[in-house]
Amino acid sequence: MQKILRKRVVRDLKENFLRYLALGLLIILGMYLVVSIIGAADTIIDGTRQMAEQNQCEDGQFGTFVPLSNQEKEEITNQGITLEEMFYLDFSMEDDSTLRVFSNRQEINLIALEEGKLAEKENEVVLEKRYAEEHSYKVGDSITIADKEYKITGIGTTPDYEAPYKEFSDSSVDSSQFGVAFLTEDDYERLKSTEKSEKTESYYYAYRLNGKMTDEELKEQIKEFEFSAEEIEDVYFQEYWDRTGGKKEELQEGITELNDGGEELRNGLSELTEHNQELTDAAEQLLAVYPQGTQAGQAANNFVKSLKEYADGVEKVADGSKELSEGINELDEQTNELMDEYFEIELSNLTMFLKAEDNLRIGAAGDDQIINKLGGLIAGVVVMILFTYVISVFVIHGIEKESSVIGALYALGVKRKDLIWHYLQLPVIVTVLAGLVGTGIAFSSIGIPVQMQDCYDYFSISKLQVRYPAYLMVYSVIMPPVVALLVNYFVIRKSLSKTVLSLLKEEKKESKISNVDLGNMGFIRRFQIRQMLREVRTGFTVIFGMFISLLILMLGLDCYVMCSHIKTAAETDTKFEYMYTYKYPEEQVLEGGEEAFAKTLKREAYGYNLDVTLLGIRKENPYFEVKTEKGENKVVVTSSVAEKYKLGVGDDIVLKDEEEGRNYAFTITDVVEYSTGFYVFMDIESMRELFEEADDYYNVVFSDKELDIPAGRLYSTTNREELVQSSGIFVDMMMSMIIMMTSVAILIFCVVMYLMMKVMVDRSAFGISLVKIFGYRPGEIRKLYLNGNFYTILVGAAVSVPLSKKVMDLLYPYMVANVACGMNLDFGWKLYVAIFAAIIVVYLIINQLLVYRINKIVPAEVLKNRE
Amino acid sequence: MYLEVKDIKKSYGKDGSYVQVLKGITTGLEKGKMCVIQGTSGSGKSTFLNCIGGLDTLDSGSIKVDGKEIANLKPATLSDYRRDYLGFIFQFYNLVPNLTVKENIQVCQYLTKEPLNIDELLDTLGLTEHQNKFPSQLSGGQQQRCAIARALIKNPKLLLLDEPTGALDSKTSRDILILLEKINQKYGTTMLLVTHNNSIKNMVHKVIIIKDGQIHKEYENETRVPAAELEDL
Repeated sequence: MQKILRKRVVRDLKENFLRYLALGLLIILGMYLVVSIIGAADTIIDGTRQMAEQNQCEDGQFGTFVPLSNQEKEEITNQGITLEEMFYLDFSMEDDSTLRVFSNRQEINLIALEEGKLAEKENEVVLEKRYAEEHSYKVGDSITIADKEYKITGIGTTPDYEAPYKEFSDSSVDSSQFGVAFLTEDDYERLKSTEKSEKTESYYYAYRLNGKMTDEELKEQIKEFEFSAEEIEDVYFQEYWDRTGGKKEELQEGITELNDGGEELRNGLSELTEHNQELTDAAEQLLAVYPQGTQAGQAANNFVKSLKEYADGVEKVADGSKELSEGINELDEQTNELMDEYFEIELSNLTMFLKAEDNLRIGAAGDDQIINKLGGLIAGVVVMILFTYVISVFVIHGIEKESSVIGALYALGVKRKDLIWHYLQLPVIVTVLAGLVGTGIAFSSIGIPVQMQDCYDYFSISKLQVRYPAYLMVYSVIMPPVVALLVNYFVIRKSLSKTVLSLLKEEKKESKISNVDLGNMGFIRRFQIRQMLREVRTGFTVIFGMFISLLILMLGLDCYVMCSHIKTAAETDTKFEYMYTYKYPEEQVLEGGEEAFAKTLKREAYGYNLDVTLLGIRKENPYFEVKTEKGENKVVVTSSVAEKYKLGVGDDIVLKDEEEGRNYAFTITDVVEYSTGFYVFMDIESMRELFEEADDYYNVVFSDKELDIPAGRLYSTTNREELVQSSGIFVDMMMSMIIMMTSVAILIFCVVMYLMMKVMVDRSAFGISLVKIFGYRPGEIRKLYLNGNFYTILVGAAVSVPLSKKVMDLLYPYMVANVACGMNLDFGWKLYVAIFAAIIVVYLIINQLLVYRINKIVPAEVLKNRE
Repeated sequence: MYLEVKDIKKSYGKDGSYVQVLKGITTGLEKGKMCVIQGTSGSGKSTFLNCIGGLDTLDSGSIKVDGKEIANLKPATLSDYRRDYLGFIFQFYNLVPNLTVKENIQVCQYLTKEPLNIDELLDTLGLTEHQNKFPSQLSGGQQQRCAIARALIKNPKLLLLDEPTGALDSKTSRDILILLEKINQKYGTTMLLVTHNNSIKNMVHKVIIIKDGQIHKEYENETRVPAAELEDL
């Protein structure tokens, strides 16, 4: 029997070809997007992981004040750890971009060449891929670094600059402004000797643990390494050292001198005591020579007496000096202990220790895709439920139309399961075919590779071999029919569960809601409501489709709004023109500069350990409208921090100092509008006290004009223009995705709404033809059968627009969990009105199309239906 | 008796809308015989037919077909009963619109292991030349013939017909009745016809007249008239 009925399936498909084609195309589009997005995510996640392994990606890196000594390096490598210098110099290029120059890597973070070869000879350079792309450099071109021309021999990537952030505190990558290059070791040294770099050489080491110890153990070991002031080559560091850490040496030297003086004094007195006895003996002998009772004898006697008193005094002084000496020794010991306690950090050579998993530059492309993958998998199922539900509405419509036929077949002994299977075939066939085609396109050159392009345009990764994961094939080919099978099974089963007689008589089961008492309402309104209630399932599908479409639209709009807010906020919130982050601060803040104390701490959000800058500022600071309060635990957070961590006034925020392995808990006294960065503000004096810094300590200077600060003193200089420009990158970067999301949302909405409203008209064909016989005019028929839908759409939009926005606002933070920036997703009322208006416009257009369909229904339909 | 009906009662609704449609009907029919059930609208004749066909349940009583009790069977067993014993023909044909004549018949061909020869059946019913047409391309009589063929292909032991000529003109009605007579003779099919048409009772072996849910009159037709000679159809 199925064999015969199958012919019917093909005919059904042909008869309703356009309807199923529209749905099929939507499924194809949906599957194409989902599969290509997930495929791209998998390719990027697995591909970058594999590339990182192949190219010996570091397990972590650390920075030092001065290079490690050979002995220190051996201490580490002898334990089986691989260690490699990652020293670099930053050079300002002609277009004001910064090129970070390294020497060729040997064992860690190896260069994966995209084309060309490594720099092997003098004046050869390999450029990082994204920088080369942004500046249109090709292999064979020349590039000028520090006034010297280099030939580009290769273009490639390295795992430690997968996301080429210039600084770890940057919130976006801008390859037009920053890139990386690799030279031979000799060329690197030559460049260094030019002293034309933006700042002094940075000393970083990459390590691979090889399973020999943990990151923590290595960190503890490196922290033990102290550096000697004599090793400091950097003049700025030297000057800074002399003012800060160098004081300890002076203090120690003074104590040692004091100790030495005390010791000398004690030794002198001890010698004096030793000669005392000789002096006393000689005096007594002298006394014996003088006759007693004579004047001379009396004088001698007095002299000896005085001498003895002197000797006793000397002995007492000697005893005192011994105590003094012991006291000085004690002072020396205690001073050493005290200094060891308070000068430990400054003496440790370690400036920074960063595990690869916490490094924003490493594995960033893959991290960025994880949410795409999860989102894609879930979105695929949700969209399929919608589409298959739409199909089920058609099938149910078909079943209702064929009710008496089905009843007849039942009467003849056909079983329900046979018919369920029969009616399931069409949805399954449509979804299988559409799934296959969608997957085929997704797996073609216009699928996964296209979806990967955004990633290639942002991250510095090699061209990856596209992956076709088996689970994705199963997902894309099996999931749609399975969802169709499940959704349709339950819906069809219910429809086919009517009794044979009920089917034969074409009885419609009226729900209780359809029989609601409408009071004395006018006929037209009453009819419209009855029609709406009769078509409640179809109306629900329209609203469901609207909700899914709006959800997709909201994803695009949230993305756009967030990026726009970041851009706008960067313009409005950034009051300073320049922000100088010091490596070696000057003794006095330069005139025109506003001092601040910045410390980078960490806090986890949605599984990502993000940098949060604790910024100590003066209350009178002209660049931040922040009212900080005195106190070591009182802070003001920016709206970006508050939004990301869901914090408010009165809440506590715990920030972690990963260098020290120490947590700091603060109470939030205020939240200020600021979305550009992740800042927590604190009174600078309280912050100095908290971190035991000098009363005049600072490491950041804000200014409204350019200050004459030697580059060698600085970690970085940020100017307002660059900041605003880099904030705008998000909008540019996400625009294609935003347009795609919006288009898909509109398409789904239009197709679902049209198909469902058409089903409503088709189901009412008998009634429409009947009222035509009665003499109703087209306008009146339209009022009766179509205009009532307006209220469905109106109510649906009123519910779906805010609900979809709310749902997306809850989901969105997870999608951008790795982005350290403000999460302002607020829409202005105009946007809500625009969405609402767009829905109504789409409805009116579709309504107009359906008027055409209504006009095509002829009165003879009544006769046809009754044969 | 091939069909034995004992004191069957059937009612619908509750309280104010309660209607007892069948008020204790007892009757029977021999194998291979044709029987007409007549009655006015609302007399309960269609309900009687539906109860025999297992399409409706009984409040009480017993219906045996070929010795098998069918009252109060579970839906699945009733489905098997219909599959193995019954053929149904309706006033409004109820053909699958997008299957051809032959395919509509084949739908039921697969329900039995020993179907009749489809080509022979098509020929008997005069549908050979229409076998590849869709229902919408057929006249009412042709559609009803197709419905008869669909019911007969299973070679049912009992054929239930609910107003089989109700939607047909006089000439076509006669053709269909001739056909039914022919089938009864050729295949020995027991037939139970519900009809308003007064003439049809003249061609069958037995007539049951139902009035207000009870058998008003029941008799064996000793003077059968061939369908071709029926008047006032």
